[in-house]
Amino acid sequence: MIAFLILGALAVAGAIVTITAKNAVHAALGLVFTLLNVAGIFATLSASFLAATQVIVYAGAIMVLFLFVIMLLNATQPITSHDPVPYVREVAWLGGSVLIGALMIIALNYKDALPLKDGIAGLRGTVSQYTTLPELAHRAPGSAAAVGEVLLTKFVFPFEAVSILLLVAIVGAVTLVSRPANQTQGETAQTLEVDPEPAALPERGTGQSVVVREEVRV
Amino acid sequence: MVPTTSYLVLSAVLFGLGLIGAMTRRTAVLIFLSVELMLNAANIALVAFARAWGDLTAQTAVFIVMTLAAAEVAIGLAIIVSIFRKRETTNVDDLATLKG
Repeated sequence: MIAFLILGALAVAGAIVTITAKNAVHAALGLVFTLLNVAGIFATLSASFLAATQVIVYAGAIMVLFLFVIMLLNATQPITSHDPVPYVREVAWLGGSVLIGALMIIALNYKDALPLKDGIAGLRGTVSQYTTLPELAHRAPGSAAAVGEVLLTKFVFPFEAVSILLLVAIVGAVTLVSRPANQTQGETAQTLEVDPEPAALPERGTGQSVVVREEVRV
Repeated sequence: MVPTTSYLVLSAVLFGLGLIGAMTRRTAVLIFLSVELMLNAANIALVAFARAWGDLTAQTAVFIVMTLAAAEVAIGLAIIVSIFRKRETTNVDDLATLKG
């Protein structure tokens, strides 16, 4: 209970930093803090595999990407221009508070269908052609073995669909960021002149074209 | 043992804060950060329900949501970078037209 209270309070504090910080890097670091606390909350819910995945995928990979893009785009300055929509801030806070209140009423009316002890026992998985009862008894609830077995038997189709999605995402991201091949020379020089900050991505592109040119010469 | 209700309250608070952030922020990257916060709030609720029902399906769903979030971030940030190259801004108020 104490662990939950501390982790929950810290997660909410990080979330408030995320949505109010004037500096974009501070906002991203606030979100990293929240994500790490959410990982701890997963651990208190006996979801150890998800806690580890949360740290590795969210706090590790996704947030590094975010920080990289924030620094690449130089989006750290606060935006001081006037709001085009009047009272958008007040309306957002009011609407958000109403939503939190409504969701809390639903949450407070929720009653557990079965005792939590039985629920945690169910997170060990079920007896199947791959797992026997004595093996289940030794397995930690929500461990990689338990989640992995369900993922690769009952949900193998969504699992494969997600792998295709990731492949498409990789190809899409590379296509979106790379420049058209026929105008690499002129366009790269032009954008570099106008905007020297996002040097990392153009450099990679020119580096590749340099390699290609050398190969052609050889 | 902490009851499921406490986790649902925490999830509601984080989701609401994420929604407020998504509505008040003006930079595309920061709106993305708020959306990530909302996804995490939903994940907390899913894991809490997984424990309440003793069913690993919800934990599997959370795993898939995390993968989707990774894919979404990769594509979304690539779009933001390419918009920034063209327009020199990521302020969503300046990006209100579809015309490239």
